[in-house]
Amino acid sequence: MNVQSDFAPMALSVKTATTIASPAVRIWRNASRSAAFRIGLVVLILLLAVAAFWPLLSGLDPAQISVSDKFKPPIFVQGGVWAHPLGTDQLGRDVLVRCLVGLRYSLIIGGGSVILMFIIGCGIGLISGFWAGRIDGIIMRITDAQLSIPVIILAISILGVSRPTLGSIILVLSIAGWPLYARVARAAALSERRREYVRGARILGASNLRILLLMVAPNILPPIAFVAVLDVARMMIFEGILGFLGLGVQPPTPTFGNIISDGRKYIISAWWIATAPGVLLGIALMGINLIGVSLERARNSVYGGDQ
Amino acid sequence: MYILGILFRRLIQGVFVVLFTALIIFTLLRVVPGDPVRLIVGGMAPDSVVEQIAQKMGLRDPIPVQFGRYLWLLGHGDLGQSYVRPKTGAVASGAEFVDPTKSQMASVGQLILTRLPYTLQLATCAIAIALIVSFAIGVPAGLAPGRWPDKVAFFISSMFVSIPSFWLAIVLALIITVRLQWLPSIGYRDLTYTILPAIVLSVEIIPFLVRTLTVSISQLMKEEFVTAGEVRGLPKHRIVSRHVLRNASVPLLNLLGVQISTLLGGVLVIEYIFDYPGLGQLTVNAVLQRDFPLIQGIAILTSFIFVFVNIVVDIVATSIDPRMEY
Repeated sequence: MNVQSDFAPMALSVKTATTIASPAVRIWRNASRSAAFRIGLVVLILLLAVAAFWPLLSGLDPAQISVSDKFKPPIFVQGGVWAHPLGTDQLGRDVLVRCLVGLRYSLIIGGGSVILMFIIGCGIGLISGFWAGRIDGIIMRITDAQLSIPVIILAISILGVSRPTLGSIILVLSIAGWPLYARVARAAALSERRREYVRGARILGASNLRILLLMVAPNILPPIAFVAVLDVARMMIFEGILGFLGLGVQPPTPTFGNIISDGRKYIISAWWIATAPGVLLGIALMGINLIGVSLERARNSVYGGDQ
Repeated sequence: MYILGILFRRLIQGVFVVLFTALIIFTLLRVVPGDPVRLIVGGMAPDSVVEQIAQKMGLRDPIPVQFGRYLWLLGHGDLGQSYVRPKTGAVASGAEFVDPTKSQMASVGQLILTRLPYTLQLATCAIAIALIVSFAIGVPAGLAPGRWPDKVAFFISSMFVSIPSFWLAIVLALIITVRLQWLPSIGYRDLTYTILPAIVLSVEIIPFLVRTLTVSISQLMKEEFVTAGEVRGLPKHRIVSRHVLRNASVPLLNLLGVQISTLLGGVLVIEYIFDYPGLGQLTVNAVLQRDFPLIQGIAILTSFIFVFVNIVVDIVATSIDPRMEY
């Protein structure tokens, strides 16, 4: 009993430390306690590890054609061989290795485009909300206009004839996705502008730019960034759709989209070619979504659901 | 009439949004490489012919001039004529050269109008299925936050949001149409061909609806009017059905307004996969063939739908909850 009372003051100080922590830290702590977040993280890390190392370890080349091995079924179906755990496609290429290379591209494009659209969108949104007035009106009408064109129409119109590359796909997806970030950042900046500390800083002679970059942005952006995780999954689906339409990273580089679109031609006899990439993509999306939803829930509980 | 004033302001804003959209897509199409004339006349035609036709079509004028001409026609209700689709229905190719400056090409307005009903039919079916399922899952979840209905809803929406819809479309077409032969789906003959694509689309929408519904219902249940209803002795099902759901439908409507273009984008892709004769196929082919007038027409249509749906959403939301203002 004595020991416990000795520890009491320390426990108290720990408690005060958590209440003082910034919203971003609290959101992170809150989320990392949930089961969904942990499951998602484990799934994602496992997938990343497999995608990083299996193509090297297996020694298989995703583009290597071997006609004698074509249409080998996956291992859990009769006739499958361990050399190709998920079977082979119409040219005898290993489906698993191709899917894993596809997963790499999917993650790079998903992550890259969200980072870029976050920077563009939040930058424009902060300016729009912080300075308000006429610029704000114009910027908001432009975001409305862009929100009104489906992402996929915009993306296929741009990528339609120009040969799509990794860079151009990331750019197009972020051009299509920035307006939502602009809206959210603007709303946050509008309410932040009236806060005490902004007026205080202004009275002390800080310039608008300084207030915006050093004070307002660090307050607003982390919560938006947490929810952006969900968009990585959304962009990965768009990458898949673009690839499926032949507007993704071009063959022979395997992507989820072009493997599925190839496999679709043989789906009646060799169903695994089109099925495997979808399942793998689904698992990756599940991991990301579980992390994203936990972060979103944590954010809502930290902010009392009002943001 | 306060509401008429709002309506007027929203209409003016809406016109600007549609014009901006037209300008964005118009400029994008002309800045991005890819010459439609080259595709129309075929790869074998000499450059001089390409140049001559391009000038005749006005494609070498400065972009503002071209845009002005386009707007002038648009003001008269004319969306222009397709570059590649003749009136007969066959698609022109390099082999059988059709002069696009002549009036034998199909009008964009006509092309869109013949396809639009199919797309609307599919979208309506999908939204109806999605609403039924979301209410069945989301309402119990919102009423029991943290307990098993909430967990089931969380699980289902996490599952659904992680399924790539274009892949689901292919797999369901294989299993349900080809293997089990329960429902037809490739192409279109009658209403039954709409069901499977609608199910795929609803899987895409359900997670968002369930999440919004669950959150808003669980928050509304903490409101004072619910307690007041209980004190007055109203049965719980009556409080929920008459008062809570009515208020919960407002965020749902707003979600629909914001997500309408995402929904349309989804419809286009799913239609393309199922070979469904709506706008989807038309759009994808228009883009691949650089059919500028058709792409512009479709983009203007989608932004018009976006503006229109959002105005309707605002009006309906105000009539449900008169406290709202703009």
